[in-house]
Amino acid sequence: MGFLITLVVLAAIVAFIVAIYNRIITLENRFENAWSQIDVQLKRRADLVPNLVETVKGYASHEKGVFEQVARSRQAMMNAQTPDEGAEAANMMSQALGRLFAISEAYPDLKANENFKLLQEELSAVENKIAYARQFYNDAVLQFNNAIETVPGVFIAGPMGKKEHVFLEIAEGDRETPQVSFA
Amino acid sequence: MTKPGASRVPDVITDHVTGRRIDLYATRTANQRASWLLFLALAAILALIGWLLALAFDPAGAGVFVAVAVGVAGVQSAVAWAYSDRIALAAAGARRASREEQRYLVNVAEAVAIGAGVPTPRVFVIDDPAPNAFATGRNPSKAAIAVTTGLLDLLDRQELEGVVAHEMAHVRNYDIRFMSLLAATVGAIVVLRDLVWRWMRFGRRRSSGGGRGQVFAMIAVLVLMVVAPIMATLLHFAVSRRREYLADATGAYITRNPEGLARALTKLRDYGGAPLQASEGVRHMFIVNPIARLNATGWWSTHPPIQERIDRLRRM
Repeated sequence: MGFLITLVVLAAIVAFIVAIYNRIITLENRFENAWSQIDVQLKRRADLVPNLVETVKGYASHEKGVFEQVARSRQAMMNAQTPDEGAEAANMMSQALGRLFAISEAYPDLKANENFKLLQEELSAVENKIAYARQFYNDAVLQFNNAIETVPGVFIAGPMGKKEHVFLEIAEGDRETPQVSFA
Repeated sequence: MTKPGASRVPDVITDHVTGRRIDLYATRTANQRASWLLFLALAAILALIGWLLALAFDPAGAGVFVAVAVGVAGVQSAVAWAYSDRIALAAAGARRASREEQRYLVNVAEAVAIGAGVPTPRVFVIDDPAPNAFATGRNPSKAAIAVTTGLLDLLDRQELEGVVAHEMAHVRNYDIRFMSLLAATVGAIVVLRDLVWRWMRFGRRRSSGGGRGQVFAMIAVLVLMVVAPIMATLLHFAVSRRREYLADATGAYITRNPEGLARALTKLRDYGGAPLQASEGVRHMFIVNPIARLNATGWWSTHPPIQERIDRLRRM
């Protein structure tokens, strides 16, 4: 009888540890998935850029400086190896595109171009999705950090080798008016 | 509204009227618990009516009544379970929005879905100048969001995001699933009432004037038959109102921008054109009730007053 009780208690403890373990892994997968969401959107933005540059060149071919800036940021993005480099390149591209759209304001014919309007909508949409994906990433990281720093997760996070993750810094104004970032 | 870094603990909101801190996750759980209690209360009413019927008449007859009522409600909820999204979309005259035609709307829905961490819902458009929107689908992977063309014309991007996030919140909080179950229970009580009324008027031939207990039970049944459907409907509407507030709060949390939804609701409130052509059965689903006076304060409304919703959002 005593043996049976010991067995039941042990089984309960093992089940409890397995449940915590699974929860931590689930949360980790969630923010890794959130990270890949950001990646997908950044790639989509990089794919839209050549098309945009071609369209703008048709109306404002002499604005060479900004085209070079955009090309450089795109190249930096392609070459990025670490997440930090990627984030830096992404910021470079945001700035370059912001300047490109600012310059476009001076060309009414360009602004009336259907293809340009389409690209402008797609790029602000991507910009918006990047902001949401970053926000969701931070939510997921928060949940993960909470799970591994509070009881009971804290007891097995150490043996599992899980460490606290850092939040992505969201630039001020980024989330508030995504469509204005190009104006 | 949104401060840098504020997005880290945004699920805690301070209600400046009561000074209480509201934890969104806790609110959601508390709401779900309260909703299940209401659901159980309605089931208890159903059982009580059945028991009183058995006392007043004969046990076999009462059993048949309750069985028929529960059976009808069961079929209703099974149909609602399987087809609610298709029925709702068809009843509202919604058509699927293609990416080419509604690029803007589809992009907004995709962005908000990323923020909410749910799969992108199917997006539908209703050709109607009155601005409104609703969500349907029993779980996040079956979700659909429909908006009117009037809404698209009226709102800017942030406002539209607010409305879409409110709808996504209904899906994420499993409001649609719960409300259809609740509606089915209320329906069962109404069906039972109608059956008993009919039976008392036409079929009461076997009654042979029993004891005082029987008379008492009969009176109790009569009173309950009048009161229960009213109470059940009021409960249903009360839950619906609470869930609108919760969806507003969750929507604001998803977008981190309560002001967007607040501005959208202000525009919907001030819209003075023709009301949306929507049948009575689907009115409760929309973000604001198509019949303006039904957004007023009161026990008989499915929606809280718009002004109160705007005020709550602005206080976040």
